[in-house]
Amino acid sequence: MKSGIKSEVYDKLAGIAGNVSNSEIENWQKQGGKIVGYFCPFIPEEIIIAGGFLPYKIRGTGSSDTSEADEFFDTKNCSFVRHCFNHALLGKFDFLDAMIVGTGCDHTRRIYDNWQVAPLKTKLVYLLDHPRTMGTEGMEETIITYYRAQLAKMKEYLENNFGVEITVPKLRKTIKLCNETRLLQKKLYELRKVENPPITAAEMASVLMAGASMPKEQYNEDLKTLLNDLSSVQGIKKDYQARLMIIGPAIEDPVFYSLFEENGGEIVIDDTCFGARYSMKSFIDEEAEDPLHAIAKYNVSDVPFCPKINGSHKNRIEFIDKMMKEYKVDGIIGQGYVACDPWGSSFGMLSAHMKDAGIPYLRLEREYISTETGQLSTRIQAFIETIGGRK
Amino acid sequence: MIVGGCDLGSTTGKAAIMIDDKIYCGDIIPATTKPALTANLAMESAIKKAGLNSIDEIEYIIGTGYGRQKVPFASEDISEISCHGKGAYWALQSVRTIIDIGGQDCKAIAISDKGVVTQFEMNERCAAGTGRFFQVMAKVLTCGLEGIGSVSNISDNPVSISNQCSVFAESEVITLINDEKSIPDIITGINQSVAKRVVSLVRRVGIHDDVTLTGGCSKNLGLKKALENLLGTTIKPLPVDPQSIGAIGAAVFAKEKLLAKRAKELEVSSKE
Repeated sequence: MKSGIKSEVYDKLAGIAGNVSNSEIENWQKQGGKIVGYFCPFIPEEIIIAGGFLPYKIRGTGSSDTSEADEFFDTKNCSFVRHCFNHALLGKFDFLDAMIVGTGCDHTRRIYDNWQVAPLKTKLVYLLDHPRTMGTEGMEETIITYYRAQLAKMKEYLENNFGVEITVPKLRKTIKLCNETRLLQKKLYELRKVENPPITAAEMASVLMAGASMPKEQYNEDLKTLLNDLSSVQGIKKDYQARLMIIGPAIEDPVFYSLFEENGGEIVIDDTCFGARYSMKSFIDEEAEDPLHAIAKYNVSDVPFCPKINGSHKNRIEFIDKMMKEYKVDGIIGQGYVACDPWGSSFGMLSAHMKDAGIPYLRLEREYISTETGQLSTRIQAFIETIGGRK
Repeated sequence: MIVGGCDLGSTTGKAAIMIDDKIYCGDIIPATTKPALTANLAMESAIKKAGLNSIDEIEYIIGTGYGRQKVPFASEDISEISCHGKGAYWALQSVRTIIDIGGQDCKAIAISDKGVVTQFEMNERCAAGTGRFFQVMAKVLTCGLEGIGSVSNISDNPVSISNQCSVFAESEVITLINDEKSIPDIITGINQSVAKRVVSLVRRVGIHDDVTLTGGCSKNLGLKKALENLLGTTIKPLPVDPQSIGAIGAAVFAKEKLLAKRAKELEVSSKE
């Protein structure tokens, strides 16, 4: 662990994050458990877990090539979907019993399209439509109702294909379970507010990633142990030059984090998929009469939002401003994959806001897996020097 | 006080030595396949120009450029963006916008009235709008880089090059050659196409006078003219070699760092 603490549970979680498969998954399957793949934070794990499944977020960890996937995807599709699908084609996700794809953006949707025609072992694949509008006055309940209906369909799909029943009491239980995960992850985030955080951004990312790759009950126990391990740690040296907030799609590449560490940038907070956009939302109503409605409401109206949602810019700016204050942020990094359309257009608006507000802002276009790092490193170093020059 | 800067670019190596406030630039060294060797060759040339006997006389050296971490004799490294800002301001204090067009990057840098970088923009990974683009075009036109930069090549009837990718633009130029377009028309078209690309970067940081041009491509007069037309302002020449500005900036930083280091040492010893 770069921060220097010795924590067995951290080593375990980092190991899970560092590989596509892990022993938790293998044990689950040995005991006859089924695994459902997904990605996009708005696909509710609560429903998957209530069906007795293990939700597994697919990712391109360890991928270095997209040549298999390039047969199916166009060059204008982003590297995230291509690396993930490449893994799928290489059989790395053969442990999945079903796959749920969300309409996060047009690139991710193509995973659904291609999954149906590609020679993959996992035959069951489902497309969950997530609404892309909010903030239209008077439309809120219509949008929630629509998503609730979509979730009910997804629930039925799992029930019918696997002969399980996803009941209201089961959903209440899993809502509580996932709320606890978010609460524990929030506590982990809190630790990064101080000058000497006991855990680095890259380490934190591994811990969060592990949470989407193993059973939640065990994960929550591991998080509690980790929080306890971290409580007595001195923390990293304050030899960094700038505290940064990073915004954009998921960062699942350790090399990308290292570029900041090498250049004196400490990422203290984020607005990324499966980072803050999973952990820093509020909680799902545990007492709701209709849990599906509560889950739907949470996933269409709670900040921070994916930029694919029309009308979410204002909420994003509010969230960023709030986090900047709480985490004493010196500068903002807007990073996105080449060809990322939701973030691509969002960054233009963000850049204008940052300029008006006088906030140092760096836009980085990158690939899901960093290969050529020279130019990225120059930009990051120069940006941190610019912040240093202002101080 | 003797300090130095070494700028290991993608295409060339440059070094500058500052003795008190006077700058001595070495020759521009074509990059070899070994960054340390390029750095040594560049610094040896600067040492000769400065009339020094050995590198040991230089008290502090800063590395910059693409290979900044590979400069064997540097005490630390600073990005070329900060160094171009520092160097251009040192050379001409009225500069607020710097356009640096090097071998594989082009950058637009805004600096404050104190010479501090406030904002910058850089081309995305591909070679469009950089020296490499010109190299590819010079090869197709068999005119050499000097031919592309020559003022006598500026035409009033330039062709339009629509492709930004140097590989595709190369085929586009081959088509134009086969259509028997005149070489000055094609060359002016190439310079205008690069200038358009660069100006969109400059607009992001804002065009504030004075604007200056640094990096290897600053020697391309056709490009300079195309940039001036699009920017609607004149590009101020610098009193030193604009290709060595990164190395000069690194040397200026080296002086500041050395002074700060000495002040700190003095503070510590006075406390003891």
